Amino acid sequence: MTRPGESGRAAGVVTRPADRAVLSILFVVVAAPVAVLALRALSATWFYPEILPPAGSMTTLVALASDARLWRAGAVSAVLAAATGVGAATIALAAGRVIARAPKAVRTAAGAAALLPVIAPPIALGVGLQVVALRAYVSGTFWGVLFAHLVPATGYLTLYFLGVLSAYDWSLEDEARTLGAAPHQVLARVALPVLRPRLVEAVVLGALISWAQLALTLVVGAGAVRTLPVELLALVRSGDDRLAAAAALALTVPPALAVSLLARGARRTGTVA
Amino acid sequence: MTSRDRAAFLAIGLVAAPAALGGVYSVAAALGFAGAGAGDVGLSRFIAVLASAAVWRSVAWTLAIAAVATVLAAAAAVAVAVRLQASRAGRWLAVFPLAVPHVAAALAALILLGQSGLLSRMAFATGMTASPAEFPPLVYDRVGAGLVLAMAWKEFPFLALTALAVLDTRGHLFEETARTLGATAAQAFRLVTWPLLWRGLAPASVAVFAFLIGHYEMAALLGPSDPTALPVLTLERSLDPDLARRGEAHVLGLIALAICVGVVGLHQRARRAAPEAS
Repeated sequence: MTRPGESGRAAGVVTRPADRAVLSILFVVVAAPVAVLALRALSATWFYPEILPPAGSMTTLVALASDARLWRAGAVSAVLAAATGVGAATIALAAGRVIARAPKAVRTAAGAAALLPVIAPPIALGVGLQVVALRAYVSGTFWGVLFAHLVPATGYLTLYFLGVLSAYDWSLEDEARTLGAAPHQVLARVALPVLRPRLVEAVVLGALISWAQLALTLVVGAGAVRTLPVELLALVRSGDDRLAAAAALALTVPPALAVSLLARGARRTGTVA
Repeated sequence: MTSRDRAAFLAIGLVAAPAALGGVYSVAAALGFAGAGAGDVGLSRFIAVLASAAVWRSVAWTLAIAAVATVLAAAAAVAVAVRLQASRAGRWLAVFPLAVPHVAAALAALILLGQSGLLSRMAFATGMTASPAEFPPLVYDRVGAGLVLAMAWKEFPFLALTALAVLDTRGHLFEETARTLGATAAQAFRLVTWPLLWRGLAPASVAVFAFLIGHYEMAALLGPSDPTALPVLTLERSLDPDLARRGEAHVLGLIALAICVGVVGLHQRARRAAPEAS
């Protein structure tokens, strides 16, 4: 039995030698960077020309776990990511619902408008937003950085919801209205339950955009807002590869879990193989 | 205009206004009306930036690095999609780098590709080199080899996902039909799969190219100081101790924005003009 999207080709194990070779190369290419981060984080010393560290050590992980600065940065990143995910998904869903029912010309204009914060280079966007943040007295503050993260995240998620809502059955809401439901009841009892899986995905995607964001945080945060990527950049630049590798792994785990959850959710709903 | 249209325009404004306002402020700051170093109103910042050979070198180098990384990532994505479409492990591996933040991937590239990195150690162990200095510099190098590899590694999953989606929906059926009609595997790929793939991959590749033009962290950690990548140069100018030079950061930001908008616009135009644009 095949899953939707596999077009009759069963997903499973490759058998042809050429395919196996490509799979092996892919495994090495994908795994090597993560493996070297893990090796560096779990070694006390790893001097040239040793291929592998002479001995494992948990001291770096202990140092990571007891570093209050990194915990603070992780907490700031987590709160920013959660707020960006929820805020951007809410704005994008509201905007998407209005735009999706507009005439084609308006939808086309909306697509182009939503594309602007997405394709604008973060540094270019950041130097502009920094002036906006300065005028609003939020430059170098958590709120300024949250505002900056919301801008591209809202653009991405508006495009996402325009795609989702293009296949949405609006007649469900029309029927609820015909039966006397008020607008807030239609939203709470019909739209949100139907769109809940997509809304969860959108919150996770928005959170991921914020979690890995560095350029906008640097520019609008003006060095005062210390997120995990900002601390990681500082560690790499200071030459502390060991702690940096451990922090890089800590930065990678939440997105890896989120991507796995999204993939599992998508498989369950049959949207991807 | 109906109330629904007005609501739609309000929604568009809500989504695009902050970025547009940032753009307007950038123009104002570039002209000396706003921002740090405001006062000397005029085109002096534009003239200073556009007359700088270092800026043009930076723009050309950034475009070249982004182009090569995009081509590499797209080639890898096509290879994986064609060869491993049926492999669950292949699909999982292809997506995994999406989860690794750019700054973490850049650190991994430093540990792997640096002159005392893992590849250099392997070269020493196999007798190819006698010291780290004999290993070719792959990071901080003017060619940008390490930066290109790291960028391609990080952007490849997005293109692989797109290529897999194209093949899942259309490619296999058409290819089987071509084979049934007597085409060899190579002919089926060249005449059926490849045209489908490149059309499907083109928008995603353009998006990756535009993204890489403006990408900061990998360029900052793996790129050379001369030529400097455009985003790195922009941030440097925005933090310049000489406030008068900070307006130049806005000019550089506008150049990057214009390039990205231009690339996407050109692609949209070419797509509309293409006879079989999908």
